[in-house]
Formats: sequence, C-alpha cells, structure tokens
Amino acid sequence: MLELENLVAGYGGVPVLRDVSIKLDAGEIVGLLGANNAGKTTLINCLSGMVAPISGRILFEGRDISRLTARQRVEAGIVQVPEGRLVFPEMSVRENLLLGGINARARAHRPQQMDKVLALFPRLKERLSQHAGTLSGGEQQMLAIGRGLMAEAKLLMLDEPSLGLSPLFVQYIFEIIDRLPAEGLTILLVEQNLMLTLRHTGRCYVLERGQVAVEGSADVVKNDPRTRSAYLGL
Amino acid sequence: MREDFYRTLSSPVWWGALVLAALLPLVLSSYYLHILTLSLVYVALASSWNIVGGMAGQISLAHSLFIGIGAMLSSALLLKFGVNMWLGMLISAALSGLLGATIAWIDFRFQLGHLSFVLITLAFAEMGAIIVEGWDFLGGASGLLLPRDTGNFRLFQFGGGAGSFWVMLTLAAACVLVNVAILNAPLGYYLRTIRDNEKAAQAIGVDVLKYKITAMVISAVLASVVGTAYVRYLTFADPYLLVSPVITIEIVLFATVGGLGRAYGPALGALLLVPLGEILRGKLGSTLPGLHYFIYGVVVITVTLATPRGLLSLFERLWRGWRRPAA
Amino acid sequence: MSELYQALAQGLLIGSTYGLLALGMGLVYGVSGVVNFSHGDFISLGMFMCLALYSAFSLDPYVSVLITVPAMTAIGAVVYIFLIRPMVGHQFLMVVQLTLGLSLVLQNGILMIFGGQPARTPSVVESKLFILGDVVLQVPHVIAFVVSFLLAGGLYVMLRSTDFGRSIRAVHQNAHAAALMGINVGRVQVLTFALGIGILALAAALLLPGTPIQPAQGLRYTVITLLVVVLGGMTNFVGIMLGGLIIGIAEAFGTIYLEGVLGLLMPYIIFVAIMLFRPQGLTWKSRQ
Repeated sequence: MLELENLVAGYGGVPVLRDVSIKLDAGEIVGLLGANNAGKTTLINCLSGMVAPISGRILFEGRDISRLTARQRVEAGIVQVPEGRLVFPEMSVRENLLLGGINARARAHRPQQMDKVLALFPRLKERLSQHAGTLSGGEQQMLAIGRGLMAEAKLLMLDEPSLGLSPLFVQYIFEIIDRLPAEGLTILLVEQNLMLTLRHTGRCYVLERGQVAVEGSADVVKNDPRTRSAYLGL
Repeated sequence: MREDFYRTLSSPVWWGALVLAALLPLVLSSYYLHILTLSLVYVALASSWNIVGGMAGQISLAHSLFIGIGAMLSSALLLKFGVNMWLGMLISAALSGLLGATIAWIDFRFQLGHLSFVLITLAFAEMGAIIVEGWDFLGGASGLLLPRDTGNFRLFQFGGGAGSFWVMLTLAAACVLVNVAILNAPLGYYLRTIRDNEKAAQAIGVDVLKYKITAMVISAVLASVVGTAYVRYLTFADPYLLVSPVITIEIVLFATVGGLGRAYGPALGALLLVPLGEILRGKLGSTLPGLHYFIYGVVVITVTLATPRGLLSLFERLWRGWRRPAA
Repeated sequence: MSELYQALAQGLLIGSTYGLLALGMGLVYGVSGVVNFSHGDFISLGMFMCLALYSAFSLDPYVSVLITVPAMTAIGAVVYIFLIRPMVGHQFLMVVQLTLGLSLVLQNGILMIFGGQPARTPSVVESKLFILGDVVLQVPHVIAFVVSFLLAGGLYVMLRSTDFGRSIRAVHQNAHAAALMGINVGRVQVLTFALGIGILALAAALLLPGTPIQPAQGLRYTVITLLVVVLGGMTNFVGIMLGGLIIGIAEAFGTIYLEGVLGLLMPYIIFVAIMLFRPQGLTWKSRQ
C-alpha cells in the first residue's frame, strides 16, 4: 500500500534521511524505531508533504504521490498524529474533532464519524466543550488520535504517542491502536519505546542516522544486535 | 574593545573617505550639497536609532521626541530667553537622555512585551507632537523662526553651505563610529543577547535594565544633538517635521532598508533613499503632486522584495561573489 | 449630566467602528503575523473610491459599498499574494517596511488622481439627526455603530461556527497542525487578508458621510487601529471590540470635557495607562 523508494530528504539541503526504502501492506501495524535524531519524524513529515524529498519516490496505493501538496495527501488518506499532540489549545474538544474531519473527503460523513470516535473515546465525549489546552496529556493524546480518525485516514501515522503519558494511559491508547486495522486502517507507528513497539507491531524498521539499519518481524528486530547499537550509538 | 574598532579608527579607507567627502563642497553645486547635507542628517539620525532599534532589538518609535526636544527646546530657549544654542543643545541633550532613560526604565519596570513597547513609544510620540503643537512656548502649530545663519560659530551658526555640510559630516561620522564602537564593545554583545532573547539574557545574569538604559540614553542624546544642528541648518523649526512620528518612521525605513543592526546599514539606507527622495521631488514635484513620493514608495517596495535582509547583505554577497567567482 | 451621556454615546458610536477596523488587523496578524502599516491608507482608498463613484454616477456611499467591497477584497488578495506573502518568512520589520512603501504608493496615488484638497462626499443621511432624550447624534454615526456591531457579530459567528472560521483560528493557534489537517494554510492567509481589506472598504463607507477626506489621513487611522489592536491583545476578538470602545470613549470625553491639548491627549493617556498595567492587553491570558 505504501512504498518509499530510496528516499533522500532533509532540511535546507542537508539530508537527514539517506536512501530509505520502506514498505507497508494494507492492514499492517508497522513500527518505525530509532534513537532521537535518526530521522523518524522527518520521514513522517515527508509522507505528510511537509518536507519535500531531495530524491526518491513515494508510492501510495500504486500512485506516485511525491508531488502532492500536504492538503492533497490528507485527502488521499495519509494522516499524521503529530509528536506532542499539537491539539488546538483554545478550541474545544468538539471543534478539534470537527477540524480533524475538515478535508473534503471526510467532511461528507463528519457527524457519523464524530459519533464513532466519541464511542471509541468516551472520555472525550464527557469533555466535549472543554478547551483542549486544559486537558491532561493522556486526554490530549486521545483527542489527537480521534482527530486523526476524523480525517478518514487510510494510512494513520502516529508520532510518539506514548510520550509523556502514564503507563495506564499508554496501555489504553495502545489497546485502541491494536483495534484500528480491523476498522480498515494501516498504521505506521513511530516510537522510541522499543519494547512497547515490539509488542504491538507485526513488523519494524529501525532507523539509524537516516538509514534503515534493521528490518523484519518484531522477533527478528528484537534479537538483532544492531538494534541495540542503533539505540545506544555503539 | 575588539580589534575591529581600532582598525576602523586607523583605517586609511575611512579617513580617505572622510577627507574626500570634506572636499565635496568645493565641487558640488549648492543644490546637490544641500541634498548631501540632508542625507548626512539622516545618516546620523538613523544610526542613532539603530543602537536601540537594531542592536538592542527594541523598536522604539519615540525617537521624534528626542529630535523634537533637540530642535524645538533649544530654539525656544534661544528665542524666548536668549540662551546660547550651544548651551541649549546641551540642555536638550540632557533632557532627552533623561527622557530616554525613563522610557527604558518604564519598559523594564512594567515588563512590556515588544509590541506593547512599540505602541507605547508611539503613543508617547503622538502625545509629544500634540503637546508641542499646542504650546506657544515651543512654537505651537506655526513653529519657530531662528535668526539668520551668519556663520558665527560661537552662536552655533555654521553659515549654511559648506560649513553646515562639515558639521553634518562630523555628526554623521560620529554616529556611525559610535555604532562601530558599540558593536565591538561588551555593550554591543549584551545588547545582542537582549535582542535575541531577553529572558534568557536575564537568566544568565545580564543586567538588562542597565544596558537598555545605556542604549536608550546614547541613542537619545545623539538624536537630540543632531536635532539641534538640523534645526539650525533649516533655520525654521517646523513641528510637523521635527516632532512628528513620521520622521521616526522615515528613520526606521532607512535603517531597515540598509540593514538593521549593522553599523553601516542605516548609513547606506539614508545615503540611498534621501537623495532619491529629494531628486525625485526636485524633478517631479511640480509636475504632478504626489508623483515623486509614489515612485519613492514603489522603489521601497521593490527594494524590500529584492533584498529581504537589507541592502548591506546584498552588497556583501555581491562583493564576495565578485572577489571569488570560482567559489 | 447630559454632557456625560453625549460623550458616552458619541464615544460608543465611533468606538464600534474603531473596533471593526482593528478586527481586520487582528485577524490578519493572528493568521500571518503581519502588521499592515498601510491599513489606514486602504481606508482612504475605500473612501476615495466612494467619492469617485459619487462623482461619476451620483452613487450614495451606502450604495457604493456594493462595488467597493468586492473590488477592495480582490485588491487585498492580489496585494497579499504578490507583495506580502514573499516577506512572511523574514524579519518582522521587513513586512513593516514593505507596507510603509505601500502606504506611500496608496497615499500618493490617491493624491495624484484626486488632488490634495479636502473633499466631501454627500450622502442622503448626512445632516439628519437622531435624538435620544438629551443626546443628539448624527444619523451616519448611528448607522456606523449598528453596522459595525452587526458585522462584528457576523465575524464572531463566522469564526465560531463555520469551517472557514475554524480554519482561521486553527492556523492562528498552530499552523503546522492546521496543515496536517489538510487545511491549505496559504489560502487561509490570503483569504483572511482579503477579508480584512474588504472590511476596510465597508468601514470606509461608514466613516465617510459628513467627513471631509484628504489623501494624507491614512496614518491617523493606522495609528488608531494599532492602538486598538494592541490594547485588545492583538488577537482577542472581544478585547479588540472593547479596546475600540475605550479609545472611542476616551476620544469623545477628551473633546467634550477637556479643552485643547489635554483633550486631544486623552486616548493616548488612557492607552498608556492601561498598557502599563496590563501589557498583554485586554485579554484574559495571564502575563507570560
């Protein structure tokens, strides 16, 4: 469903990703691991159209989408739940969700989608008119994911959803993530938390300094010594 | 004080340029000499503003207050009390310095953000204009007419023409040198930290209040002195020119067009834009009122779009490109 | 006592239009970080367009808006796309510099076409008076008040209840996140600026009847609008309208109660007084 071919991308001409090739099939949950500046967020931002690739191709559902604008990527079904949640602090939960579904494709069934998301996250339903900036970290993460779901994503990319959350919330959120493929979504999960990711994904890629160091099933990645060195810089 | 300052002071290029400039009255007609004299006034004014606005990053629109005090107060003191203009200049400069320090103190004491500071200084400038235009002692709306300039140096008269030109040249050079000095002294370093991140500067122990006041006082005193010299050159103290926020806006424009925060930026901006404005006005001013300023505005827009980082950066890049074409 | 009501009423009337002027600037600032120093000159442009339409077709300013608002909205979009957008990533003062150049162009373009003499644009309601108890008000001012409030109300509803309004607020609060929602941030910025200029066209027509106009007046409106916007907290809707009313009332009180210089100083004194003790403006955010 998604293929990155030899992607080179970076900021101001300086490459962060050097020759990255990745594949996702529909319905998978794939993990993207790596230490802090390995290039994980850059890769996601490239997929979202926020960073233009220096070279390489991005194929989504067979189409080359490298030239699509950020708006068009969302319309195509590529949706990002950004690192740090980035909810709109002075808008209510309801308004945040409405904005999630603002793209033309999703807008048609926004009310129904809203009901579905609120059923998935009852806590949000309780706080519908509360300003998003006043929510707790875990609630904001729920909102961010709910917002992503409102966009009727085909590929949902989550950037560090466990960051700053209590273990209870992390467990809750990841239970939800596990259920998403059944709803027809494909998930790309970016995480620093190695063990957590290995438990919830089928396959993983480990990035090290802009290149794929290890790839394979969760078990393969867990046992590969290069994974540890990629994280510890050894 | 960094090396660069002393190198500038002893630079043959600098002195050569100054000497050449000083010889200009011998070859220029009085019309062009006048334009150049005006340009130098604004070089001085823009450079004085640069200390606060460019180096310290405090966009103050109160500059017209200092220029106005320097011009109107010294004129009023001369005309109403017979105070020698040299003394009047010193009194005005002291008052301006005090006012500047007060404004800087207010900024610090009330923790004004950048935008509030801009607008509060603008409000002060408007108030100053209203007060001067309504106060007969300072000339009211009709301004003050100084006695004719007969060149008597002890009476703060420079004779118009070449004499005034040399005075303005000295002031302009002095203001630019002050800029160079500050940039190469610890003060410049502290101002830059305040400009880049005031809270961080404070956190690492920089005495923000002291340096803000210092910058403002230097800037105000320079502006005031130039104001006095300027009004003497014009012989007529026009409040709508000298105490209006418009003059501040012009100065800010010269500084930003040339290169904000750089020592020679404001000078470059003034030396380019003032002659442009005057020559346009001379050639087109009578044909169709407004045409010269219209073109001036178009030039400003074009220059802005073409050089978003100021003309000085553009010239530097061109210079570097010319010297090392292979790079 | 009736003087008090007169001052209050007049202040409220003009203040609501000041608020409207500032809303346009606040919206643009929130979405693009741009402060347009030719703001007042666009108001001038709107006024002179009405004058021209009157001279050519005897159109009353209240009718001319049907032409000037769409025209100025289009002009706004063009100005933003070609002049302002290229500057948006750079130093804040660069946009100021550009808009200062634009101010000169507008002001002097108007001067070249219309000449420098103050001109009046007649309107059917110009000399009619509206009497409320002891208070005598000019009908054009009352109309300006009502329309300004209605338009401000309309803007408020638009921002709260339409997707476009929500996009504007989203771009203001977090442009990156807004882009991730599929919002075309660039388009929102253009449309907001164009909307702001369109509002100015309407406000110009409201301010026009009974007022002699001249090309150099732009700066005065720009300064008033800046005062109101900063007083209102830059992007706080209610704060800005409140700021407009405060400045309007301060102006009215100054002219009616105080003689000469002190009267003229009132709005500025009030502004400085409020800002010193509340530098963040009339928002409910705590000082950060």
